[in-house]
Amino acid sequence: MFVRPRPHTQRGRTAILTLAVVGILAGLAVGAGAAEKRVPARRRAAAAQGRLPPAVTDAPATTNLVVAPVDRSRRATVAAAAAAIDRLVEAGWQERGLEGSRALDDARYVRRMYLELGGRIPTHEETVTFFDDRAADKRAELVDRLLESPDYVSHLYNYWADILRLTERPQKNLYCEPYLDWVKRSIAANRPFDEWVREMLTADGKTWENPAVGFQLRDQGMPLPYVDNTVRVFLGTQIGCAQCHDHPFDSWTQHQFYELAAFTAGTQAGAGGKLPKEQRRQALTDPVVRSVRGLMAEARRSARDGKVDNQFLQFLQANGTIVSHHTAALALPHDYKYDDAKPLDVVAPRVLWGEVPSGAAGADGREHFAAWLTARDNRQFARTIANRLWKKVMGVGLVNPVDDFRAANPPSHPELLEHLTDLVLDLDFDLREYLRVLVSTATFARRAVPHDPTVDSPFAFTGPALKRMTAEQLWDSILTLVATDPEDYQRPRTEEFAAAAELDLTRGKVTLAQAQEAYQRFVAAFGPRQTRLQLVKEYGYHGQVLARASELPTPLPLGHFLRQFGQSDRESIEGGRTVATIPQILAMFNGSITHAMLERGSALHTEVMADDPRRAVDVIFLAILSHRPSAEDRQFAIQEITSAETPATGVGNVIWALLNTREFLFIQ
Amino acid sequence: MTPCPAFDDCHSRRHLLAGAARAGLGVAILDAVAGAVTGTAGAAPPAADFGNVICLFMKGALSHIDTFDPKPGRDEQGETEVIQTAVPGVSFGGSMTRLAARADRLAVVRSLSTETGAHEQGIYTMRTAYAPLGSIQHPALGAWALHAAGKKSRELPGYVLVGNGNEHPGAGFLDPKLSPVPVADPRLGLENTRRPAYLSQTNFERRLALADRIDRDFRRAYAGPQVEAYNQMVAEAIRLLGSDDLAAFDLSREPAAVRSRYGDTPFAQGCLLARRLVEAGVRFVEVEFGGWDMHRELFAELPAKAAQLDAAMATLLDDLADRGLLASTLVVLVSEFGRSPRINENAGRDHHPAVFSAVLAGKGIRGGVVHGASDERGHSPAADGVSVADFNTTIAAAAGLPYEREFFAPNGRPFKIGGGGKPIATVLA
Repeated sequence: MFVRPRPHTQRGRTAILTLAVVGILAGLAVGAGAAEKRVPARRRAAAAQGRLPPAVTDAPATTNLVVAPVDRSRRATVAAAAAAIDRLVEAGWQERGLEGSRALDDARYVRRMYLELGGRIPTHEETVTFFDDRAADKRAELVDRLLESPDYVSHLYNYWADILRLTERPQKNLYCEPYLDWVKRSIAANRPFDEWVREMLTADGKTWENPAVGFQLRDQGMPLPYVDNTVRVFLGTQIGCAQCHDHPFDSWTQHQFYELAAFTAGTQAGAGGKLPKEQRRQALTDPVVRSVRGLMAEARRSARDGKVDNQFLQFLQANGTIVSHHTAALALPHDYKYDDAKPLDVVAPRVLWGEVPSGAAGADGREHFAAWLTARDNRQFARTIANRLWKKVMGVGLVNPVDDFRAANPPSHPELLEHLTDLVLDLDFDLREYLRVLVSTATFARRAVPHDPTVDSPFAFTGPALKRMTAEQLWDSILTLVATDPEDYQRPRTEEFAAAAELDLTRGKVTLAQAQEAYQRFVAAFGPRQTRLQLVKEYGYHGQVLARASELPTPLPLGHFLRQFGQSDRESIEGGRTVATIPQILAMFNGSITHAMLERGSALHTEVMADDPRRAVDVIFLAILSHRPSAEDRQFAIQEITSAETPATGVGNVIWALLNTREFLFIQ
Repeated sequence: MTPCPAFDDCHSRRHLLAGAARAGLGVAILDAVAGAVTGTAGAAPPAADFGNVICLFMKGALSHIDTFDPKPGRDEQGETEVIQTAVPGVSFGGSMTRLAARADRLAVVRSLSTETGAHEQGIYTMRTAYAPLGSIQHPALGAWALHAAGKKSRELPGYVLVGNGNEHPGAGFLDPKLSPVPVADPRLGLENTRRPAYLSQTNFERRLALADRIDRDFRRAYAGPQVEAYNQMVAEAIRLLGSDDLAAFDLSREPAAVRSRYGDTPFAQGCLLARRLVEAGVRFVEVEFGGWDMHRELFAELPAKAAQLDAAMATLLDDLADRGLLASTLVVLVSEFGRSPRINENAGRDHHPAVFSAVLAGKGIRGGVVHGASDERGHSPAADGVSVADFNTTIAAAAGLPYEREFFAPNGRPFKIGGGGKPIATVLA
């Protein structure tokens, strides 16, 4: 990979300044100083160009992402709400005779806050700026600034992508790029959570006309798993087992499951694949769906050797995938075996608890379901998200797993959980404001506590639980060391996508040839392969695309750095993991991405262009671990630099070493 | 930069470790390394008779009716043909031609059932023999095997997973280093095992020593299971890099004819990798094959996929037999649950935990046997029902693991390898 087979010629006592010329990697390979001068000028120029894509090493471009501003005038209110939470947490310690862990110093605080709200470590400059800030409210200001940054949007996108199983192609004929863009922009706009969820549950249309339909399309064609997953995500309740039989350990019956599924059973998406009889009749009343099916039939007929281009058919299907809701009956399975109903009985829709809000009367079943699920007086909706975000911030839920609320799995702090639920309701489902309160607690500003669920449960929150960085936090942190413009690449916007994908079937007949032409244009712009090639061309470093995790196409291949470190496969809800594996260590030891910051032009490289080893060491520590070295570590690192074959070698060794500490991987 | 007087054996070990030690590699790492070589404190004494296990895990739920438990003449059979196997009276689904021809080597269990119809829970239960609980992580069978029987190779891992490590229970409450090493793509093998060309061995060692030193305070302050897991993985990774057996992970060293006999698909190449690894001394290899969750268009999708499975598994069995490894290697084919006899409106089958099938062959197994039966529709067990714990206990018994012994988790609760089930006597040799 890093093939630069040039002999090491001379052991130069060179200033680290050399690094400015060729990069640490190149510096290592060619030797430095005098040796440098013997490298032919042309080759030197090539080396000086470095290998990092200019798109990420230039000055940051202005982003088109507009993030809703944070209201500074609410700081006192936020602080009071945070203090109320601390009192409840601390009451729990007293009962168990525990004490809080140490309060965070500025170094640990700034790193924790960037990772928790921005999804990455702070840059060297951001850390030092925070240290030097003498303002009394500098911590609150940091929180507010992060909450309105593009970093926050990227980080929260990753969080929701894991929960919602976001992927561009949930099925081959479903084009969901617009939905992914819509999720990102909803986070930027800080839309109230209840409104956001209602929109997802009731949206109609094509993905690029109304991207919120992507949520319903995620389980397209699978009405029972759809209800199971929706209830699991938003009501923290697992009723899926009742899909097959009454669950032996829980209170949900198969009958109740079918009653709930009856609300949304009539949701369909048009042209894709074979349709059940009833739905086919309804779908075919839509002229767009009829045209698409006509074109597909024509494409099949005219295909040479009977070989039809499946991707073209999928493109046509995507144009006919129009989510809509109709009245449809749901019947019990033919092997239904309980006494309360007979197999194949049609079930009437009924909610699991409470009532459908009266305001939704007259609307269709899907509207009823959404109104009930997101209602203020359906406290389980608010409680579920309150607990989810508590877990995000504090590392352990008050109910664990966060999607398994049931009598046999009670909360560790019932009073606190109800308090948090009230807070979410008081804030009218403003989740960013809720996060603002959680990170403003004294509990969160304490040192992390290692947690062993098999031994010390329930967790007492004497500090947040020690967390390994998520795969995305780790990737984005490494990118922070490499790129001065890490946000240059942004995933496609809905408008761009729509322009390429839309086959206008509403005005007159589209011929097969016209459709094929449109398909070619679409593939050139958004075909998976073309997208990848383009990304590698513009942002590639040894085949890795240097863009933030939130912008990369998903799911990534299993061998990608992000997947090695546990990013979700986008198949299971919250499939992301942070457990240790050997391939992770090998990737950190030898992988290309952990060497990118040694290249010329990297953010870190630019920073260590000091001619003073002492200053270089401080910068490296600040950039990677967000603190200055202890006197002893500083001495040790300086000695490493001065005693290595070349100073560049020594600098490379120190950088590598810091990246390969546990301290780098974990959030203190 | 101190030498390492305390570690006599590091001079006789691989140059890497010796070098790392000379470079002053911290005691924490070397301790872990030494511990891994000589056996961990608290591990059970090795099981005398344990061989190897290759477990082929069909993720997404394999349809039993279309593969190992057909229902000829019934509506439930759908479009899948039924073929006769080498064992009189036993038939398979139409795609399983090669396995049908080798049915005399297989033991088919047709009366398995599980408690859950949700994938994640089902996979967890099948891998650990225990239902998921919030308060404890159970070890997967491979981790139990290493815990009870130890590793065979010093440097190579004892347990490899070809597939996605994310939802794997791993070592559970046992030592983290007993968790499987995930290999994402068998065709690429274990990546990043070579140092960047610019980096000398000496500098690599310097780096390790430096990292170890700088990290000391953090490791002390935040000692606990999560940090310890990483400490162990770093130690294991260093040992692995010093191994001369890394070629076991490299499929390009396999003759092209052998590679093509298995089939040119990730799963087939995973089976080949499993054979190479077992040959090199890896005890337990799991190969995942995903994509069986056929709620739609099952009859269009299943035949090609089942044919891949058939070719790869049959070739694996032949290859192991040819090399004299089948007598010491148990091969298991399993899935988290089955698929419904009822064909749904999308021409697919839905989740079906009530009954499904699994296959065993090789070490400790009597071939040509069918254990249990589903009812005429393939809906429920009709005879000799087998629980997930029974099935896992059978694997443990066949493989030679102490399935009756009690082991204790850190919370004091007792556990058994295989979940305390009853081994199926009819399939055991």
